Amino acid sequence: MSRWLASALLALSLAGQARGEELVLALSTREVAITSTYTGAEVTVFGHIERDARTIARTGDYDIVAQVQGPTGEVVLHRKGRFGFIWLTESRRRYSKVPLYFSILSAKPLASIIDEDSRQRLKLGLEHFLPAPTPELEERDEFGFRNALLRLRREEGALTENERGVTMIRPNLFTARIVLPAKAPTGLYLVNISILSEGVPLRTAQAGFVVRKVGFDAFVANAARNEAVTYGLFTVLMAVLLGWMANVVFRKD
Amino acid sequence: MQLYLPIAELPLNLFLLLGMGGAIGFISGLFGVGGGFLLTPLLIFVGVPAPVAVATSAAHIAASSVTGALTYWRRNALDLKLGTVLTIGGLLGTLAGVFFFNQMRRLGHLDLVITLAYVTLLMSVGCLMFVESIGAMLRQKAGKAAPIRKAGDHVWYEKLPLTMRFPRSKMSTSVIPLAGLGLVIGFIGTVLGIGGGFLVVPALIYFFRVPTSIVVGTSLFQILVTMIVATFLHAIFSQAVDVLLALTLVVGGVIGAQFGTRTGQALKGEQFRLLLAMLILIVGIRFALDLVAAPADRFSINATELER
Repeated sequence: MSRWLASALLALSLAGQARGEELVLALSTREVAITSTYTGAEVTVFGHIERDARTIARTGDYDIVAQVQGPTGEVVLHRKGRFGFIWLTESRRRYSKVPLYFSILSAKPLASIIDEDSRQRLKLGLEHFLPAPTPELEERDEFGFRNALLRLRREEGALTENERGVTMIRPNLFTARIVLPAKAPTGLYLVNISILSEGVPLRTAQAGFVVRKVGFDAFVANAARNEAVTYGLFTVLMAVLLGWMANVVFRKD
Repeated sequence: MQLYLPIAELPLNLFLLLGMGGAIGFISGLFGVGGGFLLTPLLIFVGVPAPVAVATSAAHIAASSVTGALTYWRRNALDLKLGTVLTIGGLLGTLAGVFFFNQMRRLGHLDLVITLAYVTLLMSVGCLMFVESIGAMLRQKAGKAAPIRKAGDHVWYEKLPLTMRFPRSKMSTSVIPLAGLGLVIGFIGTVLGIGGGFLVVPALIYFFRVPTSIVVGTSLFQILVTMIVATFLHAIFSQAVDVLLALTLVVGGVIGAQFGTRTGQALKGEQFRLLLAMLILIVGIRFALDLVAAPADRFSINATELER
Protein backbone atom coordinates (compact mmCIF):
# COMPACT_ATOMS: atom_id res chain seq x y z
CA MET A 1 0.00 0.00 0.00
CA SER A 2 2.67 2.47 1.02
CA ARG A 3 4.76 1.44 -1.96
CA TRP A 4 1.86 2.09 -4.30
CA LEU A 5 1.30 5.49 -2.69
CA ALA A 6 4.94 6.34 -3.00
CA SER A 7 5.07 5.53 -6.69
CA ALA A 8 1.91 7.53 -7.29
CA LEU A 9 3.44 10.51 -5.53
CA LEU A 10 6.59 10.10 -7.55
CA ALA A 11 4.60 10.08 -10.78
CA LEU A 12 2.79 13.23 -9.71
CA SER A 13 5.96 15.05 -8.88
CA LEU A 14 7.53 13.99 -12.17
CA ALA A 15 4.50 15.32 -13.99
CA GLY A 16 4.96 18.54 -12.08
CA GLN A 17 8.52 18.83 -13.23
CA ALA A 18 8.05 18.06 -16.92
CA ARG A 19 4.53 18.96 -17.92
CA GLY A 20 2.70 18.01 -21.10
CA GLU A 21 1.29 20.59 -23.48
CA GLU A 22 -1.94 22.41 -22.81
CA LEU A 23 -4.50 22.66 -25.60
CA VAL A 24 -6.71 25.72 -25.74
CA LEU A 25 -9.64 25.79 -28.18
CA ALA A 26 -11.92 28.53 -29.39
CA LEU A 27 -14.79 28.21 -31.88
CA SER A 28 -15.75 30.84 -34.41
CA THR A 29 -19.34 30.35 -33.25
CA ARG A 30 -21.21 28.45 -30.57
CA GLU A 31 -24.42 28.43 -32.53
CA VAL A 32 -25.10 27.89 -36.21
CA ALA A 33 -28.43 29.48 -37.01
CA ILE A 34 -30.62 27.97 -39.71
CA THR A 35 -32.55 30.87 -41.19
CA SER A 36 -34.49 31.27 -44.43
CA THR A 37 -31.26 31.92 -46.31
CA TYR A 38 -29.28 29.03 -44.83
CA THR A 39 -27.43 26.95 -47.44
CA GLY A 40 -24.74 25.41 -45.29
CA ALA A 41 -22.20 26.89 -42.93
CA GLU A 42 -18.60 26.82 -41.79
CA VAL A 43 -17.37 26.64 -38.23
CA THR A 44 -13.70 27.29 -37.57
CA VAL A 45 -11.91 25.90 -34.56
CA PHE A 46 -8.85 27.85 -33.41
CA GLY A 47 -6.40 25.88 -31.36
CA HIS A 48 -3.33 26.89 -29.48
CA ILE A 49 -0.83 24.42 -28.07
CA GLU A 50 0.60 25.98 -24.94
CA ARG A 51 4.07 25.19 -23.79
CA ASP A 52 6.31 26.73 -21.21
CA ALA A 53 9.85 26.24 -19.96
CA ARG A 54 8.90 23.04 -18.11
CA THR A 55 7.26 21.38 -21.10
CA ILE A 56 9.02 18.36 -22.50
CA ALA A 57 11.08 19.21 -25.57
CA ARG A 58 9.75 17.69 -28.83
CA THR A 59 11.89 16.94 -31.82
CA GLY A 60 9.07 16.71 -34.38
CA ASP A 61 6.15 18.92 -35.32
CA TYR A 62 2.70 18.62 -33.81
CA ASP A 63 -0.01 16.80 -35.67
CA ILE A 64 -3.66 17.58 -35.19
CA VAL A 65 -6.69 15.35 -35.68
CA ALA A 66 -10.17 16.82 -35.30
CA GLN A 67 -13.25 14.63 -35.21
CA VAL A 68 -16.71 16.20 -35.34
CA GLN A 69 -19.84 14.24 -34.47
CA GLY A 70 -23.34 15.59 -35.01
CA PRO A 71 -26.58 14.36 -33.47
CA THR A 72 -27.37 10.69 -33.99
CA GLY A 73 -30.39 9.35 -35.79
CA GLU A 74 -31.77 6.53 -37.84
CA VAL A 75 -30.75 5.97 -41.44
CA VAL A 76 -32.65 3.56 -43.65
CA LEU A 77 -30.81 2.24 -46.66
CA HIS A 78 -32.65 0.67 -49.59
CA ARG A 79 -31.25 -1.57 -52.27
CA LYS A 80 -33.07 -2.06 -55.52
CA GLY A 81 -33.26 -5.36 -57.28
CA ARG A 82 -34.75 -6.65 -60.51
CA PHE A 83 -38.17 -8.29 -60.38
CA GLY A 84 -39.15 -9.43 -63.87
CA PHE A 85 -38.65 -6.25 -65.86
CA ILE A 86 -39.05 -3.68 -63.11
CA TRP A 87 -36.71 -2.50 -60.39
CA LEU A 88 -38.00 -2.46 -56.85
CA THR A 89 -36.53 -2.23 -53.40
CA GLU A 90 -35.45 -5.78 -52.65
CA SER A 91 -33.95 -5.27 -49.25
CA ARG A 92 -33.38 -2.57 -46.71
CA ARG A 93 -31.18 -1.99 -43.69
CA ARG A 94 -31.96 0.15 -40.72
CA TYR A 95 -29.02 1.75 -38.95
CA SER A 96 -29.92 3.33 -35.66
CA LYS A 97 -27.78 5.76 -33.69
CA VAL A 98 -25.67 6.77 -36.68
CA PRO A 99 -24.17 10.27 -36.40
CA LEU A 100 -26.07 12.30 -38.98
CA TYR A 101 -22.94 14.39 -39.39
CA PHE A 102 -19.42 13.05 -39.04
CA SER A 103 -16.09 14.41 -40.11
CA ILE A 104 -12.43 13.75 -39.51
CA LEU A 105 -10.06 16.61 -40.23
CA SER A 106 -6.30 16.63 -40.26
CA ALA A 107 -3.39 18.33 -42.01
CA LYS A 108 -1.90 15.11 -43.37
CA PRO A 109 -3.25 11.67 -44.25
CA LEU A 110 -4.44 10.08 -41.03
CA ALA A 111 -2.35 6.95 -41.52
CA SER A 112 0.87 8.95 -41.52
CA ILE A 113 0.01 10.73 -38.28
CA ILE A 114 -1.18 7.99 -36.01
CA ASP A 115 -0.75 4.25 -35.68
CA GLU A 116 -3.62 1.81 -35.51
CA ASP A 117 -3.26 1.27 -31.77
CA SER A 118 -3.48 4.92 -30.72
CA ARG A 119 -6.25 5.51 -33.24
CA GLN A 120 -8.37 2.87 -31.53
CA ARG A 121 -7.58 4.26 -28.09
CA LEU A 122 -8.53 7.83 -29.08
CA LYS A 123 -11.75 6.55 -30.72
CA LEU A 124 -10.82 8.17 -34.03
CA GLY A 125 -11.95 6.86 -37.37
CA LEU A 126 -14.87 5.71 -39.44
CA GLU A 127 -15.76 2.78 -37.21
CA HIS A 128 -17.09 5.33 -34.76
CA PHE A 129 -19.43 6.49 -37.46
CA LEU A 130 -20.62 2.97 -38.12
CA PRO A 131 -19.79 0.00 -35.90
CA ALA A 132 -18.14 -2.96 -37.61
CA PRO A 133 -20.56 -5.67 -38.76
CA THR A 134 -20.89 -8.82 -36.72
CA PRO A 135 -19.82 -12.05 -38.52
CA GLU A 136 -23.45 -13.15 -38.70
CA LEU A 137 -24.45 -9.96 -40.52
CA GLU A 138 -21.48 -10.27 -42.85
CA GLU A 139 -23.17 -13.17 -44.62
CA ARG A 140 -26.23 -11.13 -45.52
CA ASP A 141 -24.23 -8.86 -47.84
CA GLU A 142 -23.71 -6.40 -45.01
CA PHE A 143 -20.46 -5.35 -46.64
CA GLY A 144 -22.18 -3.88 -49.70
CA PHE A 145 -24.66 -2.01 -47.54
CA ARG A 146 -21.94 -0.54 -45.34
CA ASN A 147 -19.94 0.70 -48.30
CA ALA A 148 -23.04 2.17 -49.89
CA LEU A 149 -23.96 3.94 -46.67
CA LEU A 150 -20.49 5.46 -46.37
CA ARG A 151 -20.46 6.45 -50.03
CA LEU A 152 -23.94 8.03 -49.98
CA ARG A 153 -23.29 9.93 -46.76
CA ARG A 154 -20.04 11.24 -48.31
CA GLU A 155 -21.91 12.38 -51.40
CA GLU A 156 -24.39 14.25 -49.21
CA GLY A 157 -21.58 15.97 -47.32
CA ALA A 158 -22.70 14.37 -44.08
CA LEU A 159 -19.52 12.33 -43.82
CA THR A 160 -16.16 13.86 -44.62
CA GLU A 161 -12.54 12.90 -44.18
CA ASN A 162 -10.51 15.94 -45.09
CA GLU A 163 -6.75 15.66 -45.05
CA ARG A 164 -6.51 19.39 -45.60
CA GLY A 165 -9.13 20.41 -43.07
CA VAL A 166 -6.54 21.49 -40.52
CA THR A 167 -4.14 24.33 -41.22
CA MET A 168 -1.01 24.85 -39.14
CA ILE A 169 -0.50 28.60 -38.87
CA ARG A 170 2.46 28.35 -36.50
CA PRO A 171 4.03 25.14 -35.19
CA ASN A 172 1.76 25.51 -32.15
CA LEU A 173 -1.20 27.37 -33.62
CA PHE A 174 -3.78 25.82 -35.93
CA THR A 175 -7.27 26.15 -37.35
CA ALA A 176 -9.70 23.38 -38.30
CA ARG A 177 -12.46 24.14 -40.79
CA ILE A 178 -15.75 22.31 -40.24
CA VAL A 179 -18.03 22.46 -43.28
CA LEU A 180 -21.71 21.86 -42.62
CA PRO A 181 -23.92 20.84 -45.57
CA ALA A 182 -27.25 22.46 -46.43
CA LYS A 183 -29.04 19.46 -44.98
CA ALA A 184 -27.16 19.51 -41.68
CA PRO A 185 -29.39 18.12 -38.94
CA THR A 186 -30.20 20.33 -35.99
CA GLY A 187 -28.71 19.46 -32.62
CA LEU A 188 -25.48 19.32 -30.71
CA TYR A 189 -22.15 18.85 -32.52
CA LEU A 190 -19.16 17.66 -30.55
CA VAL A 191 -15.65 18.56 -31.67
CA ASN A 192 -12.88 16.33 -30.40
CA ILE A 193 -9.34 17.53 -31.06
CA SER A 194 -6.21 15.51 -30.37
CA ILE A 195 -2.62 16.67 -30.67
CA LEU A 196 0.07 14.15 -31.43
CA SER A 197 3.75 14.22 -31.90
CA GLU A 198 5.50 11.51 -33.88
CA GLY A 199 2.49 9.29 -33.52
CA VAL A 200 2.23 9.70 -29.75
CA PRO A 201 -1.06 11.20 -28.54
CA LEU A 202 -0.29 14.09 -26.21
CA ARG A 203 -3.57 15.69 -25.34
CA THR A 204 -7.23 15.75 -26.27
CA ALA A 205 -9.68 18.58 -25.81
CA GLN A 206 -13.37 18.94 -26.53
CA ALA A 207 -15.61 21.73 -27.68
CA GLY A 208 -19.12 21.84 -29.03
CA PHE A 209 -21.57 23.92 -30.97
CA VAL A 210 -25.28 23.80 -31.67
CA VAL A 211 -27.10 23.90 -35.00
CA ARG A 212 -30.63 25.12 -34.64
CA LYS A 213 -33.38 26.78 -36.53
CA VAL A 214 -33.95 30.37 -35.50
CA GLY A 215 -36.41 33.11 -36.35
CA PHE A 216 -39.13 32.38 -38.84
CA ASP A 217 -37.95 28.86 -39.68
CA ALA A 218 -37.80 27.85 -36.01
CA PHE A 219 -41.23 29.33 -35.52
CA VAL A 220 -42.69 27.41 -38.46
CA ALA A 221 -41.01 24.11 -37.58
CA ASN A 222 -42.13 24.45 -33.97
CA ALA A 223 -45.67 25.34 -34.90
CA ALA A 224 -45.92 22.40 -37.31
CA ARG A 225 -44.73 20.03 -34.60
CA ASN A 226 -46.36 21.36 -31.46
CA GLU A 227 -49.34 23.37 -32.66
CA ALA A 228 -50.36 21.15 -35.55
CA VAL A 229 -54.05 22.13 -35.44
CA THR A 230 -53.35 25.88 -35.52
CA TYR A 231 -50.65 25.36 -38.14
CA GLY A 232 -53.03 23.33 -40.30
CA LEU A 233 -55.80 25.92 -39.96
CA PHE A 234 -53.39 28.71 -40.81
CA THR A 235 -52.08 26.91 -43.91
CA VAL A 236 -55.60 26.20 -45.15
CA LEU A 237 -56.67 29.78 -44.48
CA MET A 238 -53.63 31.11 -46.32
CA ALA A 239 -54.32 28.89 -49.32
CA VAL A 240 -58.00 29.85 -49.46
CA LEU A 241 -57.27 33.57 -49.06
CA LEU A 242 -54.61 33.53 -51.78
CA GLY A 243 -56.94 31.65 -54.10
CA TRP A 244 -59.73 34.10 -53.39
CA MET A 245 -57.44 37.10 -53.90
CA ALA A 246 -56.32 35.70 -57.25
CA ASN A 247 -59.93 35.36 -58.27
CA VAL A 248 -60.73 38.96 -57.30
CA VAL A 249 -57.59 40.48 -58.82
CA PHE A 250 -57.83 38.66 -62.15
CA ARG A 251 -61.60 38.78 -62.39
CA LYS A 252 -62.77 39.27 -65.95
CA ASP A 253 -66.55 38.99 -65.76
CA MET B 1 -31.67 33.25 -54.18
CA GLN B 2 -31.86 30.19 -51.95
CA LEU B 3 -34.78 29.74 -49.61
CA TYR B 4 -34.54 27.29 -46.72
CA LEU B 5 -37.75 25.30 -46.38
CA PRO B 6 -38.42 24.64 -42.70
CA ILE B 7 -40.41 21.39 -43.03
CA ALA B 8 -38.82 19.91 -46.15
CA GLU B 9 -35.50 20.80 -44.44
CA LEU B 10 -33.57 21.75 -47.52
CA PRO B 11 -32.79 24.98 -49.35
CA LEU B 12 -34.23 25.47 -52.83
CA ASN B 13 -33.95 28.37 -55.22
CA LEU B 14 -36.82 30.82 -54.75
CA PHE B 15 -37.08 31.49 -58.47
CA LEU B 16 -37.08 27.78 -59.27
CA LEU B 17 -40.05 27.36 -56.92
CA LEU B 18 -41.89 30.38 -58.34
CA GLY B 19 -41.17 29.13 -61.86
CA MET B 20 -42.41 25.64 -61.04
CA GLY B 21 -45.56 27.07 -59.50
CA GLY B 22 -45.99 29.28 -62.56
CA ALA B 23 -45.54 26.42 -65.04
CA ILE B 24 -47.99 24.21 -63.15
CA GLY B 25 -50.41 27.13 -62.88
CA PHE B 26 -50.12 27.75 -66.65
CA ILE B 27 -50.92 24.11 -67.41
CA SER B 28 -53.76 24.00 -64.91
CA GLY B 29 -55.23 27.19 -66.35
CA LEU B 30 -54.78 25.83 -69.88
CA PHE B 31 -56.48 22.50 -69.24
CA GLY B 32 -58.70 23.33 -66.30
CA VAL B 33 -57.04 20.70 -64.13
CA GLY B 34 -55.52 21.18 -60.70
CA GLY B 35 -52.03 20.20 -61.84
CA GLY B 36 -51.32 18.18 -58.71
CA PHE B 37 -50.38 15.15 -60.82
CA LEU B 38 -47.53 17.26 -62.23
CA LEU B 39 -46.63 19.22 -59.12
CA THR B 40 -46.06 16.30 -56.75
CA PRO B 41 -43.69 14.46 -59.13
CA LEU B 42 -41.84 17.71 -59.89
CA LEU B 43 -41.30 18.40 -56.21
CA ILE B 44 -40.04 14.85 -55.69
CA PHE B 45 -37.67 15.23 -58.68
CA VAL B 46 -36.09 18.40 -57.21
CA GLY B 47 -35.42 16.64 -53.93
CA VAL B 48 -38.37 17.42 -51.66
CA PRO B 49 -39.14 14.33 -49.54
CA ALA B 50 -42.17 12.46 -50.96
CA PRO B 51 -44.40 12.95 -47.88
CA VAL B 52 -43.75 16.71 -47.88
CA ALA B 53 -44.33 16.88 -51.65
CA VAL B 54 -47.70 15.14 -51.36
CA ALA B 55 -48.93 17.07 -48.31
CA THR B 56 -47.81 20.45 -49.63
CA SER B 57 -49.36 19.83 -53.05
CA ALA B 58 -52.70 19.45 -51.29
CA ALA B 59 -52.40 23.03 -49.99
CA HIS B 60 -51.47 24.27 -53.48
CA ILE B 61 -54.46 22.53 -55.06
CA ALA B 62 -56.78 23.93 -52.39
CA ALA B 63 -55.66 27.46 -53.31
CA SER B 64 -55.95 27.01 -57.07
CA SER B 65 -59.37 25.34 -56.82
CA VAL B 66 -60.70 28.28 -54.77
CA THR B 67 -59.87 30.56 -57.68
CA GLY B 68 -61.50 28.23 -60.20
CA ALA B 69 -64.55 27.30 -58.14
CA LEU B 70 -65.37 30.99 -57.48
CA THR B 71 -65.29 31.76 -61.19
CA TYR B 72 -67.70 28.89 -61.98
CA TRP B 73 -69.86 29.82 -58.99
CA ARG B 74 -70.26 33.34 -60.30
CA ARG B 75 -71.19 32.02 -63.75
CA ASN B 76 -73.72 29.75 -62.05
CA ALA B 77 -71.99 26.74 -63.62
CA LEU B 78 -71.79 24.66 -60.46
CA ASP B 79 -74.19 21.98 -59.16
CA LEU B 80 -73.96 22.46 -55.41
CA LYS B 81 -76.17 19.44 -54.63
CA LEU B 82 -74.13 17.05 -56.79
CA GLY B 83 -70.93 18.61 -55.43
CA THR B 84 -72.07 18.02 -51.85
CA VAL B 85 -72.82 14.33 -52.46
CA LEU B 86 -69.41 13.87 -54.08
CA THR B 87 -67.77 15.76 -51.22
CA ILE B 88 -69.34 13.58 -48.51
CA GLY B 89 -67.81 10.53 -50.18
CA GLY B 90 -64.61 12.50 -50.73
CA LEU B 91 -64.19 13.33 -47.04
CA LEU B 92 -64.43 9.66 -46.07
CA GLY B 93 -61.84 8.89 -48.74
CA THR B 94 -59.55 11.64 -47.44
CA LEU B 95 -59.74 10.29 -43.90
CA ALA B 96 -58.91 6.78 -45.10
CA GLY B 97 -56.17 8.25 -47.33
CA VAL B 98 -54.36 10.03 -44.49
CA PHE B 99 -54.50 6.86 -42.39
CA PHE B 100 -53.17 4.71 -45.25
CA PHE B 101 -50.49 7.33 -46.06
CA ASN B 102 -49.06 7.31 -42.56
CA GLN B 103 -49.32 3.55 -42.23
CA MET B 104 -47.29 3.10 -45.44
CA ARG B 105 -44.83 5.76 -44.31
CA ARG B 106 -44.25 3.94 -41.05
CA LEU B 107 -43.68 0.66 -42.87
CA GLY B 108 -41.29 2.38 -45.31
CA HIS B 109 -43.34 1.58 -48.42
CA LEU B 110 -44.67 5.07 -49.13
CA ASP B 111 -42.24 5.91 -51.96
CA LEU B 112 -42.97 2.65 -53.74
CA VAL B 113 -46.74 3.07 -53.31
CA ILE B 114 -46.55 6.59 -54.76
CA THR B 115 -44.44 5.51 -57.75
CA LEU B 116 -46.56 2.46 -58.59
CA ALA B 117 -49.81 4.38 -58.15
CA TYR B 118 -48.61 7.21 -60.40
CA VAL B 119 -47.53 4.80 -63.12
CA THR B 120 -50.79 2.85 -63.08
CA LEU B 121 -53.04 5.88 -62.81
CA LEU B 122 -51.30 8.15 -65.31
CA MET B 123 -50.64 5.45 -67.89
CA SER B 124 -54.20 4.12 -67.87
CA VAL B 125 -55.94 7.50 -67.80
CA GLY B 126 -53.50 8.92 -70.35
CA CYS B 127 -54.03 6.00 -72.75
CA LEU B 128 -57.83 6.16 -72.41
CA MET B 129 -57.91 9.89 -73.05
CA PHE B 130 -55.46 9.57 -75.93
CA VAL B 131 -57.51 6.91 -77.69
CA GLU B 132 -60.77 8.74 -76.96
CA SER B 133 -59.60 12.10 -78.28
CA ILE B 134 -58.08 10.55 -81.41
CA GLY B 135 -61.37 8.73 -81.96
CA ALA B 136 -63.32 11.97 -81.51
CA MET B 137 -61.10 13.78 -83.98
CA LEU B 138 -61.51 10.99 -86.56
CA ARG B 139 -65.29 10.96 -86.07
CA GLN B 140 -65.41 14.69 -86.55
CA LYS B 141 -63.44 14.39 -89.78
CA ALA B 142 -65.86 11.73 -91.01
CA GLY B 143 -68.73 14.07 -90.12
CA LYS B 144 -70.40 11.74 -87.61
CA ALA B 145 -71.64 12.94 -84.23
CA ALA B 146 -70.50 11.25 -81.05
CA PRO B 147 -73.01 8.65 -79.85
CA ILE B 148 -75.20 10.03 -77.10
CA ARG B 149 -77.28 8.00 -74.68
CA LYS B 150 -80.94 8.91 -74.46
CA ALA B 151 -82.36 10.51 -71.29
CA GLY B 152 -84.03 8.01 -68.94
CA ASP B 153 -81.78 5.26 -70.26
CA HIS B 154 -80.40 4.20 -66.87
CA VAL B 155 -77.42 1.94 -66.28
CA TRP B 156 -77.48 -0.61 -63.38
CA TYR B 157 -75.45 1.53 -60.96
CA GLU B 158 -77.85 4.42 -61.37
CA LYS B 159 -80.73 2.15 -60.26
CA LEU B 160 -79.23 1.35 -56.85
CA PRO B 161 -81.25 2.50 -53.79
CA LEU B 162 -81.19 6.07 -52.39
CA THR B 163 -82.16 7.78 -55.64
CA MET B 164 -81.81 11.54 -55.74
CA ARG B 165 -82.72 14.12 -58.36
CA PHE B 166 -80.14 16.65 -59.50
CA PRO B 167 -82.09 19.32 -61.41
CA ARG B 168 -79.01 21.43 -62.24
CA SER B 169 -77.29 18.43 -63.83
CA LYS B 170 -80.52 17.23 -65.46
CA MET B 171 -80.29 13.72 -64.03
CA SER B 172 -81.55 11.44 -61.32
CA THR B 173 -79.39 8.68 -59.99
CA SER B 174 -78.59 6.65 -56.89
CA VAL B 175 -76.37 8.48 -54.41
CA ILE B 176 -74.23 5.38 -53.83
CA PRO B 177 -72.12 5.40 -57.04
CA LEU B 178 -71.64 9.18 -56.73
CA ALA B 179 -70.44 9.03 -53.13
CA GLY B 180 -68.35 6.00 -54.10
CA LEU B 181 -66.70 8.01 -56.88
CA GLY B 182 -66.03 10.85 -54.40
CA LEU B 183 -64.53 8.38 -51.94
CA VAL B 184 -62.13 6.87 -54.46
CA ILE B 185 -61.03 10.31 -55.68
CA GLY B 186 -60.62 11.60 -52.12
CA PHE B 187 -58.50 8.59 -51.20
CA ILE B 188 -56.27 8.71 -54.28
CA GLY B 189 -55.97 12.49 -54.02
CA THR B 190 -54.85 12.44 -50.41
CA VAL B 191 -52.27 9.68 -50.90
CA LEU B 192 -50.83 11.08 -54.14
CA GLY B 193 -51.23 14.82 -53.60
CA ILE B 194 -53.52 15.35 -56.58
CA GLY B 195 -56.93 16.97 -56.80
CA GLY B 196 -58.28 14.30 -59.11
CA GLY B 197 -60.09 16.65 -61.49
CA PHE B 198 -58.70 14.74 -64.45
CA LEU B 199 -60.50 11.66 -63.07
CA VAL B 200 -63.76 13.21 -61.79
CA VAL B 201 -64.54 15.23 -64.91
CA PRO B 202 -64.46 12.32 -67.40
CA ALA B 203 -66.18 10.02 -64.89
CA LEU B 204 -69.09 12.43 -64.42
CA ILE B 205 -69.41 12.97 -68.17
CA TYR B 206 -69.17 9.33 -69.27
CA PHE B 207 -70.90 7.54 -66.39
CA PHE B 208 -73.51 10.06 -65.28
CA ARG B 209 -73.92 12.29 -68.37
CA VAL B 210 -73.53 15.48 -66.34
CA PRO B 211 -73.60 18.44 -68.78
CA THR B 212 -70.09 19.60 -69.66
CA SER B 213 -71.01 23.20 -68.78
CA ILE B 214 -71.51 22.23 -65.14
CA VAL B 215 -69.06 19.39 -64.65
CA VAL B 216 -65.83 21.37 -64.22
CA GLY B 217 -67.25 23.77 -61.63
CA THR B 218 -68.80 20.92 -59.67
CA SER B 219 -65.58 18.92 -59.73
CA LEU B 220 -63.65 22.00 -58.57
CA PHE B 221 -66.06 22.43 -55.66
CA GLN B 222 -65.51 18.83 -54.56
CA ILE B 223 -61.71 19.13 -54.97
CA LEU B 224 -61.69 22.37 -53.00
CA VAL B 225 -63.40 20.86 -49.95
CA THR B 226 -61.51 17.55 -49.98
CA MET B 227 -58.13 19.25 -50.46
CA ILE B 228 -58.78 21.71 -47.63
CA VAL B 229 -59.54 18.77 -45.37
CA ALA B 230 -56.59 16.80 -46.77
CA THR B 231 -54.21 19.71 -46.07
CA PHE B 232 -55.55 20.02 -42.55
CA LEU B 233 -55.31 16.28 -41.82
CA HIS B 234 -51.83 16.05 -43.37
CA ALA B 235 -50.73 18.97 -41.16
CA ILE B 236 -51.97 17.19 -38.06
CA PHE B 237 -51.18 13.53 -38.72
CA SER B 238 -48.37 13.54 -41.29
CA GLN B 239 -46.78 16.85 -40.14
CA ALA B 240 -45.43 17.26 -43.62
CA VAL B 241 -47.09 20.44 -44.91
CA ASP B 242 -44.45 23.06 -45.65
CA VAL B 243 -46.18 26.42 -45.44
CA LEU B 244 -43.29 28.33 -47.04
CA LEU B 245 -43.12 25.91 -49.97
CA ALA B 246 -46.90 26.11 -50.38
CA LEU B 247 -46.80 29.92 -50.32
CA THR B 248 -44.17 30.23 -53.08
CA LEU B 249 -45.89 27.62 -55.25
CA VAL B 250 -49.29 29.26 -54.86
CA VAL B 251 -47.97 32.72 -55.71
CA GLY B 252 -46.29 31.35 -58.85
CA GLY B 253 -49.32 29.24 -59.68
CA VAL B 254 -51.82 32.08 -59.44
CA ILE B 255 -49.90 34.14 -61.97
CA GLY B 256 -49.26 31.22 -64.32
CA ALA B 257 -52.92 30.20 -64.29
CA GLN B 258 -54.00 33.56 -65.71
CA PHE B 259 -51.80 33.12 -68.77
CA GLY B 260 -52.90 29.51 -69.09
CA THR B 261 -56.59 30.37 -69.11
CA ARG B 262 -56.09 32.92 -71.89
CA THR B 263 -54.10 30.47 -74.03
CA GLY B 264 -56.64 27.70 -73.35
CA GLN B 265 -59.50 29.66 -74.89
CA ALA B 266 -57.84 29.40 -78.29
CA LEU B 267 -57.80 25.58 -78.26
CA LYS B 268 -60.48 23.21 -79.58
CA GLY B 269 -61.99 20.51 -77.34
CA GLU B 270 -60.41 17.47 -78.99
CA GLN B 271 -57.00 19.05 -79.49
CA PHE B 272 -57.15 20.11 -75.91
CA ARG B 273 -57.91 16.58 -74.65
CA LEU B 274 -55.22 15.12 -76.88
CA LEU B 275 -52.62 17.54 -75.49
CA LEU B 276 -53.67 16.80 -71.93
CA ALA B 277 -53.56 13.04 -72.62
CA MET B 278 -50.03 13.40 -73.99
CA LEU B 279 -48.93 15.41 -70.98
CA ILE B 280 -50.35 12.81 -68.59
CA LEU B 281 -48.66 10.03 -70.57
CA ILE B 282 -45.28 11.79 -70.46
CA VAL B 283 -45.39 12.07 -66.66
CA GLY B 284 -46.53 8.44 -66.46
CA ILE B 285 -43.66 7.31 -68.71
CA ARG B 286 -41.20 9.31 -66.63
CA PHE B 287 -42.31 7.39 -63.54
CA ALA B 288 -42.36 4.08 -65.42
CA LEU B 289 -38.76 4.66 -66.56
CA ASP B 290 -37.75 4.90 -62.90
CA LEU B 291 -39.15 1.43 -62.44
CA VAL B 292 -37.95 -0.18 -65.66
CA ALA B 293 -34.53 1.39 -66.25
CA ALA B 294 -31.59 -0.05 -64.36
CA PRO B 295 -30.89 2.45 -61.58
CA ALA B 296 -27.62 4.35 -61.72
CA ASP B 297 -27.23 3.55 -58.07
CA ARG B 298 -28.88 0.48 -56.60
CA PHE B 299 -28.62 1.93 -53.13
CA SER B 300 -30.50 4.90 -51.79
CA ILE B 301 -30.94 6.48 -48.41
CA ASN B 302 -34.62 6.52 -47.80
CA ALA B 303 -35.12 8.51 -44.65
CA THR B 304 -33.07 10.07 -41.97
CA GLU B 305 -34.97 10.85 -38.88
CA LEU B 306 -33.66 12.18 -35.65
CA GLU B 307 -34.23 10.18 -32.51
CA ARG B 308 -35.10 12.83 -30.01
